[in-house]
Amino acid sequence: MKPIICFFTICLTAIPCTLFVSCDNDEDTTKPVINLIEPEEGDVLQIGSDVHFEMELSDNDLLRSYKVDIHHNFDGHTHTSATKAGEETIPFSYSHAWDISGQKNASIHHHEILIPENATPGDYHLVVYCTDASGNESYVAINIELSHDGEEHEH
Amino acid sequence: MRIRFHLVMFMLSVALWINAQERDSMKVIRLGDVSVSASYEKRMIRSTALPVDVVGEHFLRERFTGNLIQTLEHIPGVHSMNIGSGFSKPVIRGMGFNRISVIENGVKQEGQQWGLDHGLEIDAFNTEQVTVRKGPASLLYGSDAMGGTIEITQRLPEAGNYVFGEAALLGKSINGTAGGSALIGIKKEAWYAKFRYSEQRFGDYRIPADTIVYLTQRLPVYGRKLKNTAGLERDMSLYTEYRKGRYSSNYAVSNAYQKVGFFPGTHGIPDMARLQDDGSHRNIELPFSTVNHLKATTHQQYMRSTVTGYLDAGYQRNDREELSRFHTHYDNQPIPEKDPDKELAFSLETYSLSAKIKHIPSTVWEHTAGWDVQYQQNRISGYSFLLPEYRRFTTGLFWLASWYPAGTDFSVSGGVRYDYGKMDVLAYGDFSGSLGLVWHPGDREIHLVKANIGHSFRLPGAYELTANGVHHGAFRHEQGDQALSSEQGWQLDLSYTYREKGVSFSASPYAAWFGNYIFLRPTGEWSVLPHAGQIYRYTGAEALFAGAEITFGIDFRPDLNYTLTGEYVYTLNLDEHIPLSFSPPASMRNTLTWTGKNIRAYAECQSIASQNRVARNEDPTRGAHLLHAGATVNIRIGKAMAEIALLFQNILDTRYYNHLSFYRKVEIPEPGRNVQLFIKVPFKSYIK
Repeated sequence: MKPIICFFTICLTAIPCTLFVSCDNDEDTTKPVINLIEPEEGDVLQIGSDVHFEMELSDNDLLRSYKVDIHHNFDGHTHTSATKAGEETIPFSYSHAWDISGQKNASIHHHEILIPENATPGDYHLVVYCTDASGNESYVAINIELSHDGEEHEH
Repeated sequence: MRIRFHLVMFMLSVALWINAQERDSMKVIRLGDVSVSASYEKRMIRSTALPVDVVGEHFLRERFTGNLIQTLEHIPGVHSMNIGSGFSKPVIRGMGFNRISVIENGVKQEGQQWGLDHGLEIDAFNTEQVTVRKGPASLLYGSDAMGGTIEITQRLPEAGNYVFGEAALLGKSINGTAGGSALIGIKKEAWYAKFRYSEQRFGDYRIPADTIVYLTQRLPVYGRKLKNTAGLERDMSLYTEYRKGRYSSNYAVSNAYQKVGFFPGTHGIPDMARLQDDGSHRNIELPFSTVNHLKATTHQQYMRSTVTGYLDAGYQRNDREELSRFHTHYDNQPIPEKDPDKELAFSLETYSLSAKIKHIPSTVWEHTAGWDVQYQQNRISGYSFLLPEYRRFTTGLFWLASWYPAGTDFSVSGGVRYDYGKMDVLAYGDFSGSLGLVWHPGDREIHLVKANIGHSFRLPGAYELTANGVHHGAFRHEQGDQALSSEQGWQLDLSYTYREKGVSFSASPYAAWFGNYIFLRPTGEWSVLPHAGQIYRYTGAEALFAGAEITFGIDFRPDLNYTLTGEYVYTLNLDEHIPLSFSPPASMRNTLTWTGKNIRAYAECQSIASQNRVARNEDPTRGAHLLHAGATVNIRIGKAMAEIALLFQNILDTRYYNHLSFYRKVEIPEPGRNVQLFIKVPFKSYIK
């Protein structure tokens, strides 16, 4: 009895499996790769200057776009508009996207991100998102600090 | 490809069988002065050409977890989408959310089915009998039941006059659950009434991991307990039934309240400070969510010769709130003055009415015609936006017929249905239909063959049409599309059951093709909302579903049973040639059950295959082998017979992931080792 049952099972399951496994083309589900070079984890960035931004992007297919998002990571309880020497500051928030469609690899190097003079010093997150032509997305998040006496970045 | 294929073949061809589903729960139905006995399960299984699993009290008690869906997960083809350790949502054959209907006392439960982080508002203590239909059930239950239904029904009261009750206690080590339920009721002449109160409180749950990854940051898990995942559940229900002669009716009122914390590392900006151990594992701090579900339903039934009329009416109100600190999401804006921490709130009211007439002119034919209508109103508040206010109206008209030709061993059933739906200015309408065959050759009832083909249709849900915001349950910006057309497809279901003394086997393969299947597609457009990558928009695509469930059982000795169950689902988006998201991995359970006098014990090995067939931006999930064991003992205490169930889950404390879990995306593993004790003491005393 048992071999018959097993045979029956195999037949029943084999039909859908063979049918569908054969037409599974595995179209692109590979995410792009982000290699963020500058800034690095824990970097201190100078308020009132631009950010030295540098990274390598690559994908098995074609890239589409990348986005840089900077937002504060203050304590979470006491942040509202901290003042320094009587001067009003506002938490820095940045979000901008760049088009890199049509490229398989991209070397990014620019100084387009500006940190205004009135930015609140403190801990921030910098997140880089990157998408490829078919919508696969990857991201990298690092901790940075904004400060008035940050290291001068090399050009 | 070849390796995967062989793995699937192996998983499925090693024969199987489902565990202790009660086979002989007898049901006595009084028809005037005639008493007819039939196995309720057999009757249910015969009455439809679709695969049906009926689970009775024994199964529900033996696998009791305080959570109905996690209990039903033992049925092949059913999965639970977990939100931490306390709450879950059902998935049947890879379909979830608005494609599965949960029906209690004849009325479809209407909560926030679309959301990943919302559980099902049903008191697990209050479930006596559950019928799971796998495959398209929309003909009978409306367009949202295209993936299957979970129907919770009341057992028929036993004859006689008596008072009865029950006290139940539940304890779990994984999250320090302490729960209990009390039932009190009376049956006198034509009346039957019962009241139940249940409460469960649990603390942060234990995971076998010291760190998790969120936004590429490695976040610590102090004391291996996931901070702020504690919760509570409080449910009340009153049920009254009246039966006299040809008339019967019931009235039910229930309220379910749930409050559960979210791990703060995954809500808004991750912040190490908020992950520090706060000294308590039972507190629920921000962020958390609450839900309150109020439901009042009635069922009326009257029989006159060959015609029976049924009427079901219900009112439901689902209030859901998500609370989290404003500035964890929006840093540069002033904090709202009113309800500063209320992020999202939905208040959904549902009125439903359904009428049915069944006509059985002879033993050969049976006809059912019905009409149902539902009206919903959603109101919103909170500082975030996800889903607008809306009014939704749906109605459906159907006719079903069954033909049992005399002197043959088969029956044919089929039907057609027309649904119409209107949401604000959008309107949809379409036909669905099905035709099925049930064949049980020979009179020894050894073989049972079923085949069914159906065309189904589903109205797009409110969320699929109008959502626009960051859904924290999914960690992404989700957007509806008002230009969506309704979902439609063809579903083919087969099943074969073999049952002889000591051996049983069943296989239910299925395949479905959808000309338009609605899913969330990454658009490549960047969201302007904080902490969101690209926008995911609901889009229609041609899709394919296929798979099978298999069970095999053998009694080595009258007191020793071996059961194997297995399942596999294959999904494919035919437009893009990639799998659909949330495809359950292939899995298998090997169970050995020993039944002694007043005692039952089992050991189970659950094997979950890796899921490498993933949609875009979904991570593959590794497989795992888990070991579980349990025992149920009946002990006489005075006049009462106490039932004690002891359960050991994930005995080896294996670190594994649930591909369907809310926390999967942030690499939070499933709960570790758990010891659970469930004690139930029923009483019954006859009165005059």
